[in-house]
Amino acid sequence: MNTTGRDASVSRRRGFAVGAGVTAVATPLVAGAHIVKGEAIGFVTGFLHPLSGLDHVVAMLAVGLWGAQLGRPAIWLLPVTFPLVMAFGGFLGLIGASLPGSEIAIALSGLCLGAAVLAALRPPLPVAAAMVGLFGLFHGYAHGAELPPGQNALLYSLGFVLATGLLHATGITLGLVHRWPWGRVVVRTAGGTIAAAGGWFLWEALASR
Amino acid sequence: MRSAWTAASIVALAAVVPGVASAHLMVSGMGPLYDGIDHFGLTPQDLLPVAALGLLAGLRGPPTARLLLGVLPAGWLIGGAVALAGAVPAAPVLAWATAGLFMLVGGLLAADLRAPRAAFGLVAAALGLLRGVADLAGAAPGTGAALSLLGMAASVFVVFALAASVTLPLTRLWTIVAARVAGSWLAAAGLLLAGWILRYGARVAS
Amino acid sequence: MRRLTLVLVMLWGLLAACATAAHELRPAYLEISQTGADAYQVTWKQPTMGDVAIHLTPHLSNGWLERAPSDQYASAGYLVRLWTIQAREAAPLDGRTVEIEGLADTITDVLVRVRPRGGAPIDTILRPESPRFRIDLGHRPPTALPAFLLLGVRHILTGPDHLLFVLGLLLIVRERWTLLKTVSAFTLAHSLTLAAATLGRIQLSAPLLNTLIALSILFIAPEAIRARRGGQSLTTRHPWVVAFVFGLLHGLGFANGLSTLGLDRGAIVAALLLFNLGVEIGQLAFIALVLALRRSFRLMAIAWPLPLQLSPGYAIGVLGAMWTLQYGALLVGAA
Repeated sequence: MNTTGRDASVSRRRGFAVGAGVTAVATPLVAGAHIVKGEAIGFVTGFLHPLSGLDHVVAMLAVGLWGAQLGRPAIWLLPVTFPLVMAFGGFLGLIGASLPGSEIAIALSGLCLGAAVLAALRPPLPVAAAMVGLFGLFHGYAHGAELPPGQNALLYSLGFVLATGLLHATGITLGLVHRWPWGRVVVRTAGGTIAAAGGWFLWEALASR
Repeated sequence: MRSAWTAASIVALAAVVPGVASAHLMVSGMGPLYDGIDHFGLTPQDLLPVAALGLLAGLRGPPTARLLLGVLPAGWLIGGAVALAGAVPAAPVLAWATAGLFMLVGGLLAADLRAPRAAFGLVAAALGLLRGVADLAGAAPGTGAALSLLGMAASVFVVFALAASVTLPLTRLWTIVAARVAGSWLAAAGLLLAGWILRYGARVAS
Repeated sequence: MRRLTLVLVMLWGLLAACATAAHELRPAYLEISQTGADAYQVTWKQPTMGDVAIHLTPHLSNGWLERAPSDQYASAGYLVRLWTIQAREAAPLDGRTVEIEGLADTITDVLVRVRPRGGAPIDTILRPESPRFRIDLGHRPPTALPAFLLLGVRHILTGPDHLLFVLGLLLIVRERWTLLKTVSAFTLAHSLTLAAATLGRIQLSAPLLNTLIALSILFIAPEAIRARRGGQSLTTRHPWVVAFVFGLLHGLGFANGLSTLGLDRGAIVAALLLFNLGVEIGQLAFIALVLALRRSFRLMAIAWPLPLQLSPGYAIGVLGAMWTLQYGALLVGAA
């Protein structure tokens, strides 16, 4: 197998894309199959929760897209640290810590992250990480505070983390088209759409206060 | 001459070893050995940390992988034996152990941490002991339970070895990234689990 | 190669999922088997969670299960009770009702299997909404066609005799190309006799067949040990011959397994093909597992000491000898 030069680089990226795509699809199937029948409910509920709010979903996708735009090391650093930050936010929500303004923050996250992707912003890595981390914290907190009792905690947590991670992976996989000139346009457009959606969520959140 | 002795020893052993293998397997559909394998495969609290530890061991290289390959199943067997002897910690302890192990193993994997081999050995021992106890908690001692423990230890061995073989040949970045992401997912799940236990109490399947 | 391992691992996970899906993922299990003219064995297996057992009690309307069980043991996650019954009436099961007390309050399923001697078994699933079932030995609904695929997979994966023979072959053959030829020969042979036996062309008595299969395992073990030591024999030089010959035998064994599932005469060919396909899938998965394990040992640069290298061969030999003695005794007893 050719492992040097530009061709190798392309095939490596393609390998990454294929791997990420296959993993994204296969993981929930394999994971779900390992759940004892009666308790599948906990896993599925946990899995569906991050997908239940469109404001969450678009923000997660935006993080993935932005990571793809920022390239290395963000493209791998973000997927590694983000679930942890979000889980920490969830932890805070579960133990009843107070983190006010999460709804505004979540709506804002869609707007800001979408805008960053649209403008193809490239701040220094610590800034990007801090921004993503802060928003992730609020997202996690909102989920944690909403968690229903009476579920199988372990399975719920696993489903939840899996869904979040897969949304991320989807965002990155989509963002990989960034390699090609037409891809860059697609990604930025997607960012713009997300920003618009975020703006709308923000409007809603502010209006309902 | 040697083959004759081989044949004789095989037959002698066969006459002595009780026929547990054939009897239970067919009668009850799945013998205790298969029960053990089944149980391991269907219990995320067992399967996930073992796979994650395997991925981590592969990242650290063959010497660490070899060490853990021995320590992990051995710890499991000891933990299981301890449980069969009746020394089972209370449910909250086991629940916290699960959350803690998720965070520890997941965190180590996410960080791709380098540490002395002995440290990883300790982690493997802790994982094996705690999960071994948890798996066999409440099982009455006897051939059935012992066989299922053996089945579990064998599954641990296999899953660990396969997971390590994914990351051992370190040539492509995306494998390392994927492994580290998986680690962060595991740690994240552990963190959520910890929050859950704090909020709703430790009535969690352990 | 690593991606291959990943695919193999995921395939295994999917297979485990299928196998366990076919096993209904930790249901309870009740089997009523006729072991002799008037002898029956009832097995009850219920899942436990730590020291908590769901409150489920099986009942048979002929009162068999009201007595204390002959044996009881707990394995991880399961509580098993066995009753050995000597029936006092002519048709003790026909028309009787199976009821699972406590099922209605749970979310568990119960797999019930009734195996009369010399007839196809009756399988049914009892659910919380319908915890009762009447045994009607006259009417037996045929197994649904797609189920045969999973049944084939399950048959080989839960058949240690077949798996041990394949393992023996894997221990003898190291080189990739030879392995492909050997496994193909085994597959071809067992597919032929499976088809032939199922379509009624070949008949072989079960006790004789089981003894011969046990002998095949006993045969392959010293060959595996010899191959590990670097010795040569007909088997190591032409493993595909041995694989083919014994494959013919194992195919008849598969046919036995298939015949106990209750075949609808009309769909027999389709059922046969799906079952065979299932067996091949299961076999491939097992071989993939062994090869992946071997590869991981290589990557970990493990140098197994010779006794450990020989131990799988010895283990196969012990089990093969044990089964030969057991089935041989049955054969002699039946003669």
